[in-house]
Amino acid sequence: MMRKTKLFMDTVVDIQVVVADRSKDMAAATVERAFEVFRKVEQACSRFSRDSELMLATRQIRTAIEISPFLFEPLRFALEVAKWTNGMFDPTVGKTMEDHGFNQHYLTGETLHHAASDSATYRDIVLDEEQRTLSINKPLVIDLGAVAKGFAIDLAAHELKDFAGFIVNAGGDLYAGGLDNSGKKWKVEIQHPLYKDQTVQKIEVSNEAVCTSGSYERRSPLNTSFHHLVDPEHKHSPKEWTSCTVVAPYALMADAFSTAAFLLGKDRGLALVEQMNLQGILIDPNLQIYRIGGI
Amino acid sequence: MAKMDKKWIVLCSTAIGAIYAAGYFTTETQASLQQPASYSQASVKTGSSQSNSKYKDGTFYGTGSNRRGEIQVAVTMKGDKITDVEISDFAMHYSEQDVVHLPQEVVRIQSAQVKNVSGATYSTQAFKDAVDQALAQALNA
Repeated sequence: MMRKTKLFMDTVVDIQVVVADRSKDMAAATVERAFEVFRKVEQACSRFSRDSELMLATRQIRTAIEISPFLFEPLRFALEVAKWTNGMFDPTVGKTMEDHGFNQHYLTGETLHHAASDSATYRDIVLDEEQRTLSINKPLVIDLGAVAKGFAIDLAAHELKDFAGFIVNAGGDLYAGGLDNSGKKWKVEIQHPLYKDQTVQKIEVSNEAVCTSGSYERRSPLNTSFHHLVDPEHKHSPKEWTSCTVVAPYALMADAFSTAAFLLGKDRGLALVEQMNLQGILIDPNLQIYRIGGI
Repeated sequence: MAKMDKKWIVLCSTAIGAIYAAGYFTTETQASLQQPASYSQASVKTGSSQSNSKYKDGTFYGTGSNRRGEIQVAVTMKGDKITDVEISDFAMHYSEQDVVHLPQEVVRIQSAQVKNVSGATYSTQAFKDAVDQALAQALNA
């Protein structure tokens, strides 16, 4: 086994690969490429850096700016999920997040404040498929927190696909490729929402992503009833779930749909995971666990 | 039931394909891979200090201490930007009792038996002191 841990996107990215000791040097270069993906996606999608591709492209309204696929692709996916959930999932929550103190760069400490229109929604974000451009109709702040990390995990997994087994774990969202070092499916435990040293369930996965959205880690520094998952219309944090885990073939899907299920609340959240034919473990504030898809 | 998932699977594979189709990733990363990606050497590379830059280029180490030991990070600077932060070493051993008092993020990474846990995204707060210390060393006098 070889393992390396770095910080990206304000979280801890841990990569493990199954490799013989004698091949570790060769493996190191490949693992480095997988980390490089996180660097690229962060530079493209961060709303915490004034010079990220995202922030540069949204400085002016009604101006089409050509953007790289590192931004275009996750943004397109986010807009599709926004449409599918009728805006309950909405990447324009960036301004609300800023207002609640989620606006500090984790490494430089720099804080950003932007002017934005209160009425802005995902419909004010326009992507041109042909020209590969982005333009916005109103001043707004785009938050890709629910898709960028998933996308980076998928790209990193693509880099690591030749290993017999690997795990890319970005702060609790992960993709497990192949088999573990004993030739078995990877075992992944689901964090207990209240007791940090406990897990609620162990699942076995191979070539699948497991992503969890929960209200128990990131609280607003300004208002503790507010966490990093926000209902864009009512500008508050939903309370029907404390933890939503989704297992999917891609981390981009698992990341976006675990967030969407959290925001949609109980019935619609469960329905979403079922309709997608995905597996899910959803936990409500009374610690009742709902399991979907025969997990 | 209508298989709604097919559409999303296609969207995901298209998104990944777009990165590689354009040769976006492969070509650009060659350069960065020319340099050996090993930060494990003990020496601190004190790079050239240009007159107008706030920070020196190079790799700098910082430690964040807790009751029992230290977390070491290796921060790589280039052109006044942080390009890499690696959690470099955790050669510490904790008894169960000690672990209780450590930030969970640190425990997750340090435990010898790697446990793969999916949970709400935890932050990098536990590493902030170590990163700040490395940055202080990188400052141009």
